[in-house]
Amino acid sequence: MVNKESQSVRQLLMSISVALAAVGLVWGTFLISQGGEWIKTGWRFSTDAGAGLSLTWKMDGLTVFFLFILLLGQGLSSLYAVGYLKEYEEKKKSLVSFYVPWFLFLGSMVGVLLADDGFTFLLTWEMMSLFSFFLVLYEHDEPQNRKSAYIYLVMTHVATIFLFAATLFLQAKTGSFAFQEWANVVPSLSTIELNLIFVALFIGLGTKAGFVPFHIWLPYAHSAAPSPVSALMSGVMVKVALYLMIRLVWLTLGPGPVWWGWLFLIVGAFSAVVGILAASTQSDLKKLLAFSTIENVGILTMALGSAFLARSWNSSWAMDLAFIAFFWHTLQHMLFKTLLFMGAGNIIQATHTRNLERLGGLLRRMPKTGFAALLGIVGITALPPLGGFWGELMLFQSLWENTIHLSDGWSKVFLPLAIGILALVGGLSIATFVKWFGISFLGQARSPAAASAKESDPVQTMVPLVVGGLAALTVLWPAMTLALINLPLSVIRTGDVIGISSSAVGKPLLMSSVYLGVILLLTTVIVLLTKRATRKVTATWNCGAALTPSMQYTAGGITNPIRVLFAKVLGSRPKVKGDFAGTQYSLRSLTYTGSVKEVTEDIFIRPLIRGLLWSSAQVRKLQSGSIHLYLAYLLVTLVAVLILGS
Amino acid sequence: MDEIFNILTRLLMSLGHLAIILVAAPLLQGFIKKSKAYWQMRQGPPILQPYRDLRKLMNKEELVSEHASWIFLLTPRVVLASTLMAGLVIPSVWGWAPLSVWGDIFLLGASLGLARLFLALSGLEGAGTFGGMGSSRELFIGLLTEPALILGLVVLAFITGTTSLQEINIGLQSISPLFIPKILVLITLVMVCIAEMGRIPLDNPDTHLELTMIHEGMLLEYSGPSLALLNFAEQVKQLLLLVLLAHLIWPSDLISLSEGPFGMLWALGFVGVKVVALGFFFATVESLFVKRRLFRAPHYLATGTACAVLALISLWIIGGQI
Repeated sequence: MVNKESQSVRQLLMSISVALAAVGLVWGTFLISQGGEWIKTGWRFSTDAGAGLSLTWKMDGLTVFFLFILLLGQGLSSLYAVGYLKEYEEKKKSLVSFYVPWFLFLGSMVGVLLADDGFTFLLTWEMMSLFSFFLVLYEHDEPQNRKSAYIYLVMTHVATIFLFAATLFLQAKTGSFAFQEWANVVPSLSTIELNLIFVALFIGLGTKAGFVPFHIWLPYAHSAAPSPVSALMSGVMVKVALYLMIRLVWLTLGPGPVWWGWLFLIVGAFSAVVGILAASTQSDLKKLLAFSTIENVGILTMALGSAFLARSWNSSWAMDLAFIAFFWHTLQHMLFKTLLFMGAGNIIQATHTRNLERLGGLLRRMPKTGFAALLGIVGITALPPLGGFWGELMLFQSLWENTIHLSDGWSKVFLPLAIGILALVGGLSIATFVKWFGISFLGQARSPAAASAKESDPVQTMVPLVVGGLAALTVLWPAMTLALINLPLSVIRTGDVIGISSSAVGKPLLMSSVYLGVILLLTTVIVLLTKRATRKVTATWNCGAALTPSMQYTAGGITNPIRVLFAKVLGSRPKVKGDFAGTQYSLRSLTYTGSVKEVTEDIFIRPLIRGLLWSSAQVRKLQSGSIHLYLAYLLVTLVAVLILGS
Repeated sequence: MDEIFNILTRLLMSLGHLAIILVAAPLLQGFIKKSKAYWQMRQGPPILQPYRDLRKLMNKEELVSEHASWIFLLTPRVVLASTLMAGLVIPSVWGWAPLSVWGDIFLLGASLGLARLFLALSGLEGAGTFGGMGSSRELFIGLLTEPALILGLVVLAFITGTTSLQEINIGLQSISPLFIPKILVLITLVMVCIAEMGRIPLDNPDTHLELTMIHEGMLLEYSGPSLALLNFAEQVKQLLLLVLLAHLIWPSDLISLSEGPFGMLWALGFVGVKVVALGFFFATVESLFVKRRLFRAPHYLATGTACAVLALISLWIIGGQI
């Protein structure tokens, strides 16, 4: 039985989390509605950290937008956690190690968004990594989760080294940590220095965002964490990394050469394709969603790339469009990914498995979760009428504008190819999410656990529906969403606030409500016209034989054509072994073993690790343990010092 | 007052646009069946048979699998609605589309995608093998078709400098029919249309053999009015694609109300002839070729995508831009 006391603690703490988010949102909306210069120029404040150090903070329109994403995600996930955490209490698992990192994780993310100097940024960034690590490790009794958390910790720290390098280099150049000082000194830097700083930031922040090939930690960590945490990590934390990409690269390092834009565009396209291909062959409920996060980060990065290119080519129209696509998609992806992780959480609590092959027929047992999840898959696959599509439409338009803006060059071929890649990614994501939803919610139960599943707690079914409602609202009332997007845009355009909802830039987005209205109307009319049909429930046609659950298509089977076609990219080498019992024709049994892994792991990460180990081994030769050798070192050093000193 | 009058005319014309699509779709299906029968030296069903089939199915009792959920019944409605949404961006017989906005070429692809998502989900509803097989293959073909379709339309958009199908139709009037990028794009789009319509060499609409069916596999559990809606949606999609192709191959003028009833009827007849010719062409293609294995489909569709890319490159080369 649930202990009354711990139950009230849970409700109290999570309510505080929700209330903090709500207060933040309401207060923020009030401040914004007052207007003011600070949205463009920023509002600075600092806290004394002692020892002569002070942490400086700044809030401007860009921060406000991401704070909005963060607070919304926090409020929804915390509310969901009220229901989700109950299971841990029933299992008598201490929740203290959840609550403490939960609040600190959220707090440090706010810190990262507000940081206005390199020191504050690195401090809060490290806190964010560390506390999310603790959350990933929360279910540490499973060895798989410990491994995931370990990979996360290693990757995130390797990445942070690059951030340290960039920060310290700029600090040495300017003698200050302040972002503003950095921006002032950038024009005087040589091209090589600038490019090196950019690459360091790209790797450091890109690892956190999940750019391929630095993404290998992401599917492990995002799927090992408890579902509300997965929702926050996938929905919000990767966006914080992209926020810094804008703050540090776009706003601080300045325009930069053209290849930066191409790098963003190519890495983004690569991430989108690799991410969704890996997702399509997954049969783990949450890992699939994590890989889809990589895909969506790829799409967001492509938008950034388009914006950078537009900046280099002085096409402000395409730049605005790219940023509208970027911010719109950031919001939509947060909503839909949160929704889907909540749906996955409900399924996991109801069936105690993450394996799609053991699910099935859940829509009849968990109708509310299923309905919300259906909204989620329509949104995440970038299909109209929901929001995912309209963001991609803006990205298409931005790439289009960039292409026709150019007078000549091969770029005019490569940019439209990016549109083709996005179309391929769209098709793959439809296949992926038909699999995710269809295998788990439709058909027959594939295991007793799925057959006896029960609908989750009312809170856990209500929150995903609320998220779905919010997502529908952004499409029904696009002008409001555009007003929100206007805030960061006014910072990026350095103070030039335009009412994008009324100008031509945002016009296609205003179509979204029309489309939603018309398709709803048409569907309703067709439903009403065909209402009077008589129906009879019967068995499924199976050529006269009895239908067993194992006759359904499996999660592996439904996307098998994709696996066959992209076998090289997915590293798929299936083995079929037939037991013919000595004869040539009579097959006794057939075993099929197949696995997929990402090719980036083989061609990038493993060689990297091997190279590291090899060079470590070389260095170790210096430390052979022989006292004679050490004495020789001393002698050589002494001689060298004497020569240099003379 | 003028404003209201304008909106009312537009609304009325949109309804007329939809009505023509709805009425003509089964007729085209009947004609294509007849043409195929001609090549097979059969008499074939009467040209009006699809109407009778639809009426018969609408009045029948519907059987629903015990494993199916509400999505099973929602799918036919959503599929028809989203196919009609795709129809709203395609220029009508008067060269005019009800929904002409920025990027409606993408709306076309995405609306068809929405229909595909729901159809594929419903294939899994019955918990049988055939449905799942159909869904799996449809998703596979779909993901390969999408890039070719979008790239092909994007190149047309670059040729004409606009991304609205209505404007593309108008813009193409001044382009020579022998313009190489245009020919390459048309090859792409013809190949894509065959894939989207579920015809040979990718799928065979006449078969119910489990090893070969794709579209029919997903529809296997349907009966009665729901089956009628799905068949109807397929016919509508076929008509839309042919109308679109007809407009791209022989662009037609924008015909407004001022042309008078005779002018409007003439335009209707003109487009009718073009669609009929294309229908006969596709029936011939279907009679000449055999259905290919599923894993040959990537080659076929890659050829289509390659044509689109070549079209793009040749467009800029001809323009002297690379």
